[in-house]
Amino acid sequence: MKPIRLTVNGKPVSAVVEPRQHLGDFLREHLLLTATHLGCEQGVCGACTVLVDGVPVRSCIVYAVACDGADVRTLEGLEEDEVVTQLRAAMSRHHGLQCGFCTPGMMMTARDIVTRLPDADEKRVREELSGNLCRCTGYVGIVDAIRDVQEQRKSRRGAP
Amino acid sequence: MKAAAFDYERPPTLERAIELLRAANGDAKVLAGGQSLGPMLNLRLATPRLVVDVTRIPELRRTADERDAVVIGACVTHADIEDGRVPDATRGVMPGVARAIAYRAVRNRGTVGGSLAHADPSADWPTALAALGAEAMIAGPAGRRHVPVAEFLSGAFESTLAADEILEAVRVPKLSARARWGFHKVCRKPGKFAEAMSAVLWDPDRGVRRAVIGATDSRPITIGDARGSVDRSRGGGADALSEHAVAAMLDGAGLGGDSYSRRIHLVSFRRALAQIQST
Amino acid sequence: MSDSARADDGHAGSPTKQGVGARLERKEDDRLLRGRGQYVGDIRLPGMREVAFVRSPVAHAVVGRIDIPDGRRSDVFVGRDLADVEPILCVAGLPGFKAASQPVLAVDRVLHVGMAVAMCVGDTRAQAEDLAEALAVDYRELDVVHDVRKAREPGATLLHGSWGDNLLLTSDLVVGDVDAVARSAPVSVELELRTARQCMSPMEGRGVLAAWDSRMDQLVVHTSSQVPHLVRAGLARFLGLEEGRIRVIAPDVGGGFGYKSILAPEEVCIAWLAMKLRHPVRWLEDRREQLTAGANCREHHYRIRAHADRAGRLLAFDVEADVDSGAYSVYPFTGALEAGQLPSMLPGPYDFGSYRCRSRAVVTNKVPIVPYRGVARPGACIALELTIDAIARAVGREPYAVRLDNLVPPQAMPFDNITGKHFDGGDYPASVRRAVDAIDLAGVRVRQARGESDGRLIGAGFAFFNEQGSVGTSAYAKWGLPLCPGHEQAKVRLMPDGMLEVAVGIQSHGQGLETSLAQIAHEVLGVPVDRIRVVHGDTALTPYSIGTWGSRSMVMGGGAVARACRALAGRLARIGAHALGVPEGAVRVRGGEVATGDGRAVTIDEVARLWYLRPQELPPDVDPGGLEVTGGYRAARDSGTFSYATHAVVVAIDPETGQVEILDYAIDEDAGVCVNPMIVEGQIVGGTVQGIGTALYEEMAFSEEGQPLASTFLDYILPGATEVPPMRLAHVETPSPYTEFGVKGIGESGAIGSPAAILNAINDALKPLGAVIAECPATPRRVLAAIDEARNRAGRPV
Repeated sequence: MKPIRLTVNGKPVSAVVEPRQHLGDFLREHLLLTATHLGCEQGVCGACTVLVDGVPVRSCIVYAVACDGADVRTLEGLEEDEVVTQLRAAMSRHHGLQCGFCTPGMMMTARDIVTRLPDADEKRVREELSGNLCRCTGYVGIVDAIRDVQEQRKSRRGAP
Repeated sequence: MKAAAFDYERPPTLERAIELLRAANGDAKVLAGGQSLGPMLNLRLATPRLVVDVTRIPELRRTADERDAVVIGACVTHADIEDGRVPDATRGVMPGVARAIAYRAVRNRGTVGGSLAHADPSADWPTALAALGAEAMIAGPAGRRHVPVAEFLSGAFESTLAADEILEAVRVPKLSARARWGFHKVCRKPGKFAEAMSAVLWDPDRGVRRAVIGATDSRPITIGDARGSVDRSRGGGADALSEHAVAAMLDGAGLGGDSYSRRIHLVSFRRALAQIQST
Repeated sequence: MSDSARADDGHAGSPTKQGVGARLERKEDDRLLRGRGQYVGDIRLPGMREVAFVRSPVAHAVVGRIDIPDGRRSDVFVGRDLADVEPILCVAGLPGFKAASQPVLAVDRVLHVGMAVAMCVGDTRAQAEDLAEALAVDYRELDVVHDVRKAREPGATLLHGSWGDNLLLTSDLVVGDVDAVARSAPVSVELELRTARQCMSPMEGRGVLAAWDSRMDQLVVHTSSQVPHLVRAGLARFLGLEEGRIRVIAPDVGGGFGYKSILAPEEVCIAWLAMKLRHPVRWLEDRREQLTAGANCREHHYRIRAHADRAGRLLAFDVEADVDSGAYSVYPFTGALEAGQLPSMLPGPYDFGSYRCRSRAVVTNKVPIVPYRGVARPGACIALELTIDAIARAVGREPYAVRLDNLVPPQAMPFDNITGKHFDGGDYPASVRRAVDAIDLAGVRVRQARGESDGRLIGAGFAFFNEQGSVGTSAYAKWGLPLCPGHEQAKVRLMPDGMLEVAVGIQSHGQGLETSLAQIAHEVLGVPVDRIRVVHGDTALTPYSIGTWGSRSMVMGGGAVARACRALAGRLARIGAHALGVPEGAVRVRGGEVATGDGRAVTIDEVARLWYLRPQELPPDVDPGGLEVTGGYRAARDSGTFSYATHAVVVAIDPETGQVEILDYAIDEDAGVCVNPMIVEGQIVGGTVQGIGTALYEEMAFSEEGQPLASTFLDYILPGATEVPPMRLAHVETPSPYTEFGVKGIGESGAIGSPAAILNAINDALKPLGAVIAECPATPRRVLAAIDEARNRAGRPV
């Protein structure tokens, strides 16, 4: 067991963890933050994506012990985030979710695309999304939602 | 699945890390990003007694812009390279390769050194860095040694790294202004491991005409002097490296038994070459 | 005058923007978008421990000694510990059906890789897995029957000794004299087609959390299921409990697609364990288990002969089909579900005279098959639609034109087809014509003639199909399964403050039923959708239902909600009329009010207050049942609704790498009246993308030793955002004459037509090379092999 101290959703957290516990399990089982979903634990599906030090990572293949000192943010910690708020509305408007299981990971990746690549075209958006699997929607609504938020932000940037 | 139990150490220095590996006597895994190790641990395909996390060792995160090369610390992430946060010796080649590795969330964590040390023949860096003429800088109990990346892999998931050695950095020669690069991989879908991959570098000012065929069942096939193919595709030169010769190399690498694999490797080689055609 | 007559239910001309036909954003979205959904894995109970299963690493073996680490016997449970649990036995009443019981934990034999052999309990899942790994199980391996061909060889090893062969079911259907037609038909084509075994792969795997509730004296099982009431029935039967002693809760469910429409052996195991240990236990299926030990489906092998006239008019269709059913029959659908339905499905939407089908469900040492979106239909559609294209090639006509000549014409609707299916309406040829225009077939032909600058080959393909959805009592009764859909029920209750609660036994796991059922209630009563709560997924709170599968929930659940709301409207009308001082016949319920024709009204909220808070003001003849009503529904004709669609695809093939890219995709579809068109489109697109997986990517291959060859999402490839083309959808609404509002079942539709359309497009592209793909997924390897074969046939060097 190893002691760790980190920040989760803006709050300091201290814990003693088994080194083998991945960050996703630490968040879900230890902190009861269950927005982060485990879809494969093989680092492929993207459902468990969270922000570590501001960038998206797969929480199933990052071990909690290795996040000592890190700043971790889950979907629960992005309730008030401006981009996430826009994405929530757009995802609903474009029917970008059905069962909702992949959705938290999609929101993390979508937020990353909108903020990092504000001018990405549809092809690039799809490439950037390709690491998040969704079995319900066929991605159409998700891509549309991201494009919609990009446009909203662009027109606001362009406004006087 | 959950990983089997392991101990975890995060040494602050390279020396300490080497000590830990040495003491573990082969029953340790180095974690440099964990994007390949993590899945293997979770699936219990890897069950080391100890995991040595080297990501916070300053030397491994360092980059140096030298006169004719750039040294990139092993724990520099693919995203660092993609985004240009580290000096680029390759006039955009490495950022381009980085961008096509797996997915952004993996690139944020995965490292160039981790990827090389994992020695997966279908990964991008072993092929791309071999073609770029990069060197692996290795630290171990006996000091430091350098190995061309082209010779770093000894097989699939096997490298020249000893159990108590750590890949410290890669040294990537600077390309000249006239250099041209061709890189083509065949994947079932983006982010998946390549089924075939080829890289070609033509850098006449440095006298480099190198081709590498990767995603084989073993180490990448490096054609150090690919003058024939390269010059021909540049519109000149005789005695081309014929496709027949390339096919023979593929056969020699054990790909001949699978006609599909042999064929798409040839296609990737041809297409990588086509990218360096004179324009 | 009946109660229901007073509700204003005509959706045409309804002033509302929330009722039937409205593109309403979903009520369930907000919680899911904030990560507040509650899936089984999100639920923890005090004292809960975790379970890991020990699963067979071999496909066929006698299980010998199981060595348990010292001191851990109390945390390990093996087959003989569950002696009081009955093996799962699912029998169909079909003639010749053979039954085999499936122990929930192997007792003496394992029949497939991944079959559960022991349960290990730990404080954490990791510790449970440690224990599972420490068990030593002795397997004495037996000969493995890894595919249908081997299973049918004379002298093949038998999976179930008493059967005498490996045939679970042989199903024959003969209409007309196929042999006579074959002798005289000017055109005959032969095809041999194969479809790969697939894994449904919802993003959430199975999960079960069970505990004994001593206050209620009841077993409470949380499970990721589409069919909580069926799970209760199955648990009761195999655990030997009364149904009233079991409560099954399916909370938020992360996708189903049929995977969760059965009773899983693990559900029985975990429920038993909770009773045994008297503390909560949880098992969450991981992805490796899901891929290797969870269910598979759709491995079909067809041998087809079709006979036509010189114009391509189909005269006779002659099919032999083998379905690899895996080792056992799942409860409640059995392993015959695909093979048993194929004979009646294969003729599809076409009108022709002679038909012969022999279909076999064959057992092998693989995971038992489970219904997957479309069930046998995607395979049947491939068989039929590739045949139509083969006929078109043989007679030298455009495949769409051959379709037009063979489809049931609109003037023949409603139509009883060659196998007795009753098509409920629509204009099939018009759909094909619109799809032809939608992908600009003429433009594709020009482009093909010109050739592509990058050397790729372009092809256009079509598939037309109709989907029998929401099949009802009369059809299911013939199967003699442990389930038979009867009346679907909904319970509605108006709260004292006017909020409406709608409880249904079906389960929503992505279909947006919390929204669309609220839209139906709104349509009838006018209560605003945000004041309607839809409750589902809990046997304690909802009326019995066979659950959500078979494209039935909107037809059946929606119908039940409409009926219940109309009954409630009748009760509201009586109270409202009394309050208004007018005769009951003078009022109607609409727009959230009980209103007279001349504009006087009392709100539904006010009526609710009267019933609950001011009973002294109620009419003397008030219905004592109050404002809680259960309504039941069965379609006026229950042989199923027939939505239909044309899928039209343009692909580009790289002849050097064999890679296929979808360039364009158009769907022309008639889903009847769409309660929420946005949700319907989402179902169709989502299903279509699963079909893209079927056509190009997904394959669970097995070695000759019966080993599944994919165990991660790296080797079982699901389509991602980059594999999905832009898609265009066109709706046509032909209302079903037999259902509430004219809705039709649509949930499976997309997955049915897409594989056939894509394969046809590939074959159109390969036509200049003389190559034909006859197997899916059409992987690069297979595409190149088809090209090579064609070149070899033509005597040209590769």
